[in-house]
Amino acid sequence: MKKTNPSFLNGVPELLVLRLLARREMYGYQIVEEIRTQTGEALSFGEGCIYPYLHYLEAEKQVSSQRREVEGRNRNYYKLTARGRKRLEALTSEWKRVTTGVSQLMEEQYA
Amino acid sequence: MPDFIEPLRRRLVELGCPRAQVRRLVREVADHREDLTQAAVSEGLSGADAEARANASLGDPLALAEELMTALRRSSWWGRHFVVTFCLLPLLDYPVLWTLLLLLQMAFGFALGYGWNWEKLHVVANNPVTFHHLTMAIQFMDYAAIALVALFFCWLARRSAVSLKWMVTACTVCSVVAVIMYAKFEPHSFFVGFAMNSHLHMPWFRGAIPLLVAGAMYVFQRRTTQRFREKVAG
Repeated sequence: MKKTNPSFLNGVPELLVLRLLARREMYGYQIVEEIRTQTGEALSFGEGCIYPYLHYLEAEKQVSSQRREVEGRNRNYYKLTARGRKRLEALTSEWKRVTTGVSQLMEEQYA
Repeated sequence: MPDFIEPLRRRLVELGCPRAQVRRLVREVADHREDLTQAAVSEGLSGADAEARANASLGDPLALAEELMTALRRSSWWGRHFVVTFCLLPLLDYPVLWTLLLLLQMAFGFALGYGWNWEKLHVVANNPVTFHHLTMAIQFMDYAAIALVALFFCWLARRSAVSLKWMVTACTVCSVVAVIMYAKFEPHSFFVGFAMNSHLHMPWFRGAIPLLVAGAMYVFQRRTTQRFREKVAG
């Protein structure tokens, strides 16, 4: 059965985090900053609240983490796994389907 | 400058966050705070001002701990559906888990004591004295199985980061089911079933086991929090 009412609002943080990690591995602060700057501050994670979310994605094997020292600082770096990439593809296609539908409706209304 | 990390750690422990999660969350939030401070310093702020701004960005450490716990709870199916997990699931899962654990222990005992030799077991079953000893051993296995099922729900409650009341609720449901479920062992036969009017040996004790486990977990949680407070104060 075709899904008519996707929980896309709940999936937005997941989509954003996976999308960012698809580009390169990042640590928590970087992810929060990137989301804030790249969405023009329209969306932002509460400082610190990203971590339980990243741990959840790690438990789901969508991302993996490694503690590394870079430029004298120890941080947990997160990167996308093969499962995470598949999940990102699914979320992206669902997101495109929903936004296309919403855009069509909005354009009709204001045309 | 008020300390940010220790109040956060203390509150997480008080809220019953699993230890491994406390360590990891605190370490990552401390890293995050350090990054915020560095960013503020690079903008030209003094060390103290940069730290103050980092603390302000992170907000109240106690509120952050609550938010972290909420996020942690939402990150697992068990935590999101805590009413189903800790009220309904023990009702449905207890009979299955208890029976499996009991059979597993019996199989292990049989392998260890009689090397899977049915002839030896028949000899034991036909002798009233040895059969009495075997019955006592199985009764102990029954109690162990009840305790293990209760421990499983306590572990699930800790892992899901739900409050202690849900752990107690799950153990209470286990307690009720433990009273009405029974295992009957007779020479050459073994039954498992439900009975309201139980002919069991000490059914009240079977019901008390999950509550004792819940009590022990509660004391453990309190002692962990107390030890942590003493460590911080010292």
